[in-house]
Amino acid sequence: MIEYRNIHKWFDLPVLTGVDMRIETGEMFALFGPSGTGKSVLLKTTICLIIPDIGDVEVDGVSVYRGGRTAVELVRKKVGYVFQQSALFDSLNVFDNVGMGLPEDELARLPRKETAAKVWEALELVNLEPREILSKIPSELSGGMKKRVGIARAIIGRPEVLLWDEPTTGLDPINTAAVERLIQRLSTELEVTSLLVTHDVEGGLMICDRVAMLDDGTIRFCGTPDEFRACQDPVVQAFVDRAAAEAALDMVSESYD
Amino acid sequence: MNHQFLGALPLPHPIIRWLGAVGRTTRLTLEHAGGLGVLSWQIVHVTVRLKVSLRSILNQMYIMGIQSLPIVIVTGSLAGIVTSQQGGYQMTSAMPSYVLGSLVVETVVLEMGPVLTALVLVGRIGARITAELGTMVVSEQIDAFKSLGRDPVAILAAPRVIAGVLVLPMLVGIADLTGILAGLVSADLTVGLGAESFFYGARLFWHSWDLVYSLTKALVFGLSIPLISVHMGLKTKGGAEGVGITTTQAVMFMTLTILILDAMFPPLMLN
Repeated sequence: MIEYRNIHKWFDLPVLTGVDMRIETGEMFALFGPSGTGKSVLLKTTICLIIPDIGDVEVDGVSVYRGGRTAVELVRKKVGYVFQQSALFDSLNVFDNVGMGLPEDELARLPRKETAAKVWEALELVNLEPREILSKIPSELSGGMKKRVGIARAIIGRPEVLLWDEPTTGLDPINTAAVERLIQRLSTELEVTSLLVTHDVEGGLMICDRVAMLDDGTIRFCGTPDEFRACQDPVVQAFVDRAAAEAALDMVSESYD
Repeated sequence: MNHQFLGALPLPHPIIRWLGAVGRTTRLTLEHAGGLGVLSWQIVHVTVRLKVSLRSILNQMYIMGIQSLPIVIVTGSLAGIVTSQQGGYQMTSAMPSYVLGSLVVETVVLEMGPVLTALVLVGRIGARITAELGTMVVSEQIDAFKSLGRDPVAILAAPRVIAGVLVLPMLVGIADLTGILAGLVSADLTVGLGAESFFYGARLFWHSWDLVYSLTKALVFGLSIPLISVHMGLKTKGGAEGVGITTTQAVMFMTLTILILDAMFPPLMLN
């Protein structure tokens, strides 16, 4: 279970102004919202990559901001984070990148053969052929492959919670659909709680149990995909219309390319 | 948010604007000083707890030391040659020519060797570290380290700073030596001062403390360059443009720091 309590965050301007949100264990939850509304900021507060000015986050009963360094370390062990730009380490090959997903003490303790087996398994889970890419460095991979390697790194440590920060951004429609199917399959197979931040509204509605919309620093809507589609709030409707138009434009430009 | 009304406000008085600029600069300076203090403490902390990999330190020592050798040797040699030529031009008719040996050795050891080596390394190592870490920040690699329970200070910052502290005194020693040898050859070729007279002059005014002074300077510069470059790199904001801006700022910051520290050394160590 992840619970956000009264999260406020200012940079030069207020970004989050009192976010309260609760995601149940095993749930697949999508967070939508226009660009710049602080979706990624909220996601990063979960594991203390960004510290909120006010508020607290609780992950499986552990308070991230009241428990000190130990709590942060504990929560980071429980949580796998998939970054928007994959965030693979440039100087390491795929094997070492994915291996870094294992906890530091486990990585030091495990014989290389066992680490290799875990890396191999994680890559297969994300539909990559390990033999072909293990020794490649990130600059030799395509955008879709980088995303998958990033996902493999996030799941190799068998997390209880997966945070997905715009996992389909920058992908073509075919890869977007493939990654969405992968997110759904992994969340089910690994029995994890998933929080998906995305601008791909249709994809999110299709694969998630519940969705929320962040607008002007607070949660504007929270409910099931059906309730979201039927929502009469003009702000939500305008966002859905704009997202649909942008998706159509993306499709056209992709096919034109 | 009523930002549209800001344009309608009257401009503040020049003194108020000047005070504002002073305030901003002071705040920025204090922020950097605080950031450097915190980073230094974190580096000491991870080093004492043996969380820094020896392999990473050796790798950084290779990059900073071995790969910088050619430029350090060239810089040291040219410093010796220029000092020798200018000294010879100014002194030959006014003083005994063996004084040139002292001038070259003292100038190279006390000033040219440490300062020029440090300034060359600001461009070669400092800029590289800031750009490298800045790129890692904007591409979320630093966040990725943290999310995976790794400490970027132990993995990235500490090896670079430790390597800098260990390598710079060695490089300055090499620069001093090549500078003196190049100055000797140059003195022989330009004013016909032989090795015996050159070293006679050098010994006449030599203090062993001069070498301690030179290497202490190198140690302090070797700490300052990677520390500032790591600090600035980790503070990078924005995308590629942000990396460019931060790298330029870091080079300015490091150059100024080297020159200010250099000016502080004589009253502290030579009086």
